[in-house]
Amino acid sequence: MPEAETVDSSKEPRLDVNLLKDIAKKDLVDALNSASRVNGAKTLVLDASLAGPLGLVTEVSLLKHHGVDKMFWLEAGPLTSSTTSIVYLCRPRIKNVKIIADHIKRHAKESRKHNYTLLLVPRISTLVSRILEEEGVLGDVSISSYNLQFIPIAEDVVSLEHENALRELWVDGDQTVIFDSVQALLTLQQLYGTFPQIVGKGDYAQASKVVNYDIRSPKVQVASSQPSSSPKIDSLIVLDRRVDMVTPLLTQLTYEGLVDELIGIKNSHVELPLSLLTPPTAGPNNAASSSTSPPPASGPPQLVSVKKEAKKKHHLTTTTDPLYAELRDLNFALLGKKLNKVARRLDENYKTDLQTKTVAQLRDFVGKLGGLQTEHQALRLHTGLTELIVPLTRTDVFNKSLEIQQNLLASYEVTAQLNAIEDLIAQGADMQVVIRLLCLASLTAGGVKAKNLENLKREILQAYGYEYLPLLLSLAAPPLGILLPNPVPPSSAAALSGFKYPYTTLRKSLRLLIDDSAEALDEVENDIAFVYSGYAPISIRLVQCIAQKGGVLSNPAEKERTGDTANGGDTKKGSFGKVQAHPIVGWKGFEDVVAAIPGQTVEITQKTAASVAPPVGASRDMATTTVVFFLGGCTYTEIAALRWVERQNKGRKFLIATTGIISGGSIIEGIAGVNSKSSG
Amino acid sequence: MQDGNVFYRRQQCYSIPEKLPELDDYFVAGCKYGGPIALMRDHTKLLALGQGRPPAITRSQIQIYSPAGETLLILSWDQGRIIKFGWTFDERLVVLNEEGVYRLYNLQGDYQQHSLGTEASEVGVIDAKIHDNGLVALTSGFTLLEVKGWEGGRPMSLANPNLSEPPSSWAIIPPDLNISRHIEVLLSVDSTIHTVDNLESVDQRLSRGPFTHVSPSPNGKALALLTFNGTLWVVSADFQRSMAEFETSNVVGAIGQVRQVEWCGNDAILVTWDSLVALVGPFGDVLQYFYRGVPFAVTEPDGVRILSQETCDLIQKVPVSTLSIFKPGSTTPSAILYDAWESFSNKSPKADENIRSIRPELGKAVDECIEAAGHEWDVEWQRKLLNAAKFGRGFLDFHNPTDFVNMGQTLKVLNAVRYYEVGIPLTYSQYNYASPSRLITRLTSRNLHLLALRISNYLSLRPDPVLKHWACAKILRSRPTTTGTGKDAELTADDEICRMIVEKFEQLGGSDVSYAEIAKKAWEVGRAGLATKLLDHESKGSDQVPLLLEMKEDKLALVKAVDSGDSDLVYHVLLHLYKRLPLGTFFRLLEDGGQVLAPASKLLEVYAREQNREMLRDFYYSDDRRVESAVLSLEEASQTVDQSSKISAVKKAQTFFSEDKDRAFEAKVTDESVRLLTFQQQLEAEADHKVKFFGLSINETIRTCILNGLSKRADKIKSDFKVSDKRFWYLKLYALTESRDFEGLDAFSKSKRSPIGYEPFVRHLVEKGFPKEAVAYVAKCDSPKRADLYVECGEWRLAGKECKERNDKSKLE
Repeated sequence: MPEAETVDSSKEPRLDVNLLKDIAKKDLVDALNSASRVNGAKTLVLDASLAGPLGLVTEVSLLKHHGVDKMFWLEAGPLTSSTTSIVYLCRPRIKNVKIIADHIKRHAKESRKHNYTLLLVPRISTLVSRILEEEGVLGDVSISSYNLQFIPIAEDVVSLEHENALRELWVDGDQTVIFDSVQALLTLQQLYGTFPQIVGKGDYAQASKVVNYDIRSPKVQVASSQPSSSPKIDSLIVLDRRVDMVTPLLTQLTYEGLVDELIGIKNSHVELPLSLLTPPTAGPNNAASSSTSPPPASGPPQLVSVKKEAKKKHHLTTTTDPLYAELRDLNFALLGKKLNKVARRLDENYKTDLQTKTVAQLRDFVGKLGGLQTEHQALRLHTGLTELIVPLTRTDVFNKSLEIQQNLLASYEVTAQLNAIEDLIAQGADMQVVIRLLCLASLTAGGVKAKNLENLKREILQAYGYEYLPLLLSLAAPPLGILLPNPVPPSSAAALSGFKYPYTTLRKSLRLLIDDSAEALDEVENDIAFVYSGYAPISIRLVQCIAQKGGVLSNPAEKERTGDTANGGDTKKGSFGKVQAHPIVGWKGFEDVVAAIPGQTVEITQKTAASVAPPVGASRDMATTTVVFFLGGCTYTEIAALRWVERQNKGRKFLIATTGIISGGSIIEGIAGVNSKSSG
Repeated sequence: MQDGNVFYRRQQCYSIPEKLPELDDYFVAGCKYGGPIALMRDHTKLLALGQGRPPAITRSQIQIYSPAGETLLILSWDQGRIIKFGWTFDERLVVLNEEGVYRLYNLQGDYQQHSLGTEASEVGVIDAKIHDNGLVALTSGFTLLEVKGWEGGRPMSLANPNLSEPPSSWAIIPPDLNISRHIEVLLSVDSTIHTVDNLESVDQRLSRGPFTHVSPSPNGKALALLTFNGTLWVVSADFQRSMAEFETSNVVGAIGQVRQVEWCGNDAILVTWDSLVALVGPFGDVLQYFYRGVPFAVTEPDGVRILSQETCDLIQKVPVSTLSIFKPGSTTPSAILYDAWESFSNKSPKADENIRSIRPELGKAVDECIEAAGHEWDVEWQRKLLNAAKFGRGFLDFHNPTDFVNMGQTLKVLNAVRYYEVGIPLTYSQYNYASPSRLITRLTSRNLHLLALRISNYLSLRPDPVLKHWACAKILRSRPTTTGTGKDAELTADDEICRMIVEKFEQLGGSDVSYAEIAKKAWEVGRAGLATKLLDHESKGSDQVPLLLEMKEDKLALVKAVDSGDSDLVYHVLLHLYKRLPLGTFFRLLEDGGQVLAPASKLLEVYAREQNREMLRDFYYSDDRRVESAVLSLEEASQTVDQSSKISAVKKAQTFFSEDKDRAFEAKVTDESVRLLTFQQQLEAEADHKVKFFGLSINETIRTCILNGLSKRADKIKSDFKVSDKRFWYLKLYALTESRDFEGLDAFSKSKRSPIGYEPFVRHLVEKGFPKEAVAYVAKCDSPKRADLYVECGEWRLAGKECKERNDKSKLE
């Protein structure tokens, strides 16, 4: 995207999400301090699944500063600690608690005396104390909580970093994450003011509303007592992931999305070969390199087990790497061009600066040098990363699966696609790739023909092992139901009747497919469809139904362009073509479309202190923020698409809240994984 | 006092002739912030019979009096011998007995009981010190146990001081006054003092002991120690600096033993004898006060309160503001302002002159008058000082009236609570220190609801706490009135009270009062009907549930828990019920719940899957959930290592599937799976257990067969399990390439026409780094693609040739 836009949009201030980070940090320190019933050093035992999220909030030095002497992973097996107090920091999972109980019993056997504190994230659970009681160690542990809620992972994205929310909700039926989300949303409300409107879609979005209503009344009082009750947030949009299961199943085609698909981004960290991260030259570059090479934020360094090939976690963030902000949302096809441009710009900068003559000019140059070198580093990193990805996108399987996806989205020769999927299995493609495609086929075509489906299922089981039978069953089971036979067998028809996904209708009414024949990518870039090279994510279209109604039916940017003189270009569009965002009026105008999608529709107006939402005129100069909450996770492409929507209007920012970042692969592996993982 | 710079004053709060018994015969504990005192008879003292009031002789009894001498409560004690009693920060009386059991009494006589644990009860407790937020007990084994907070937390043992005899005296410095934020115990042993905290016990190596009294100052920075020969020695709390010394035996009129050593502020010490109180200043100067009978001193944050048989006095350092106005010959602006106001009220022209002379400092003078008013007890003086302030204000152009208004309000409140029937002699600074809401709580705990409510309204505080307390009290009190005719009367009485409470709440805007807490109170006193009625008014599920459980309203509790959306609450109910109900009933409850309770049974499944599989199996079985049962068996199969039990688990799953007619497919594949596992066992046996087959997928099995040269076996698997041709060909291609069996591959490629074509051969071989071998297969591919494939193999020459053959000039480029 042209710079003109970024400059323009940065003029409108965002909500400061770092506030959340500060709160999380402070709470951690408080929790640690209160955990030490005995003064002095303590040993911290950390749940590995929390290391990533914690790494986004704090540094090791902070922990050390607050009396943490040594740190261990929470793992089965003996634990030797030199300090008397041991602090466990973990999620309230049964597995974790059993390990802790085991530690305590071992210590008791060896007659070593420790003080145990259990810090549960995000809150104390009856279940944990019950299990400790069953294991007979409840009396030895004092339990308290560390309320880790939304963690900012980008300047406009906050996440609970709750892995596997999707599985818990739609396979296990464990709704804990909804409750936690609501608590976290309430915190947002307390910090930034009441959400005047809540619009949502999906059965669980409905559930979250109920809780919201429940606890609301006292909280509103708190918010209104703050002087900053001038409504900065104009609404909350809640989307239950089940409303759009199609999107995450597709292969993400933005830079960030592809990195996630092919290499994997976990808690904003990506594992890269060491050679990519360390600068080739030593000496003067050191200063610059220290800013690009990751700070040891990703958990305690002595804990990071060194893998066979030297790999290092790198924190993908725009604060130290401004180049990343320009790159992350680009369609991968455009990435090369962009990198090239940046490289050329850098080169010129170096050159012009080297022509300096006077001492003053030289001083200026040296002053800039640091910045240039940081940028240089970043460029090197991203070029390297791109080089890593490119071969992966050239494989037969990758391209085949893309082709199948596009065909399925267009409902083109479904049977042929099923055969193609079978070929993929024969070729030994990844299990998750195959299952994603199969689910996609089921969703877009309203079920797969029973005979074909059985055949494919058999192929899958034979190729990947019979242990995946439970996975196939969970995918077909009622709460999720993304892999269905067509027609549905009469016995389970009743339970599944509400689950038929009206994809073909939506494709028309929400303009999901952008014709990519005409002007190819340039055209696609003018709609949120650029993130999937021609397909617009349903979830984001739904957000547009609320926040940018024009964008659903036709493309505002496009219209602008026809009015403009031929090749007015992107820059002009950015500078004065923006339309003032319209106020939020719920689903108005799209009631029919929304009603067609299974799941409850939510629309409520909350009473704020200032009684009614402010008149449109008042908000003209002040940007309002719309919070979009994905219950069950969202993909990087959806974030990219929302950012695009944000750029089209002025006066509205999005704050994206999610239970976690997902991709098709992580969904399938999450559902399959725990089944087999619980064996370990 | 010293140099005439520091002044102390004694202020009589109440005159209480003949209201308190002879304090000498009692153990006494006083509560800070103008709180009540508790008395218990000292059984070692002789008792003269027939002397006025009849004292309770037979049983242990604790009497509680307000500072104005009103009896608040009489507690009788039926437990083991009382070791110590004292007050908590929220005016509850802590009573500890020798078995380590302690009770917390509120002023209504309701109590909670906690214990110091088995260790303490076996060894026995010989002494204890009680502070605002906890206590430290000394066991007869001379170890120290600390209790933090009053929630009945587990006691922690402090470092062992290794004593062989009880300390001659001891004291504690509460955690909030220590730098380390942990409690410190000072034990006077022999000639020295040990300081003990939770980590270590340190001998301070003093030589002047033993000490009969150890008393830390209110800010914890200094210690007052009294030696056996009567020397009062003040040292810093770290024993580094000696601050003052004073011979108490020199005090005129001191007879007998020193009774108490208490601090008055942070720089004066109060020493009491049988009928004498001496205030010792930092430089050894003394103020003496005589009392009839034995006085008892209670340290307050801003002074010391003395209770004797006739009066309740407060001795304090004269506050700065008061001093600057009333000090003899004071010429501060505030003194002049006060003088001016007096002149003004006497209609003397001096007033104007006075005001003029302090013009620049008038604002400060006004502030000081306002503050001084706060420190006065007498309403007359308060009024005078406030009037003076008001007078001064008239000459000021800008003066923020907030302080003035607030002070007026505060004084009104203070005067109200100081009234002898209420009997809380709170000073202005104590009031500020402890916040108005605390005062409200103290009033409600004395059942002074109306006053508390009025004060709440007056200070615009929320009325909720008062209303809640009122409702609870109401329920308690209303009990005797239900003496009507049986059940009906009780029901109507319930309705009546419920209506009254709800009405009152709505009327007074106490919408946020938790009905659940009140309902709990009702339940506790045995009024289930009323409790249910009140619960209906509760809007928060999380508050309703625990009580419902307690009332055995199982289903309702579960439904409410599910409604709340709080899974932890659901677990709470589930686990509770699972423990209490027979399994069958428990399952039926969930099954009957249908859609409403579905989330609950899901949660139960999550829990049971990891913690209690047996129960889960029963649960599925009782509900005829065959698919779930089968999946559960499959999960177990995947977890077991043992081969035969794995096979039997899969077989069991197969049976479950076959019982469900819609699951024919699943039954078939699990059957296949069993067959595969058996076949794999056979394979392993054939390979002398050198190769691992068991548990592999069919693909993997075929691959392993080929890698190990068992291609016949691979073929058998293919036909037995109907592996598709395509898949088999790919598998074999991959496996042969992996084992570099290029001859085998060649033979295989010629065995019949390849169902996957030959392009994959070329591509795979190139990918794996065998371009040479790949070349041979290019010729078998479709002609249009050959050129490109040759290029991939690195055979440019052949590629060129190919192009030439096909007359493709453009490609040739």
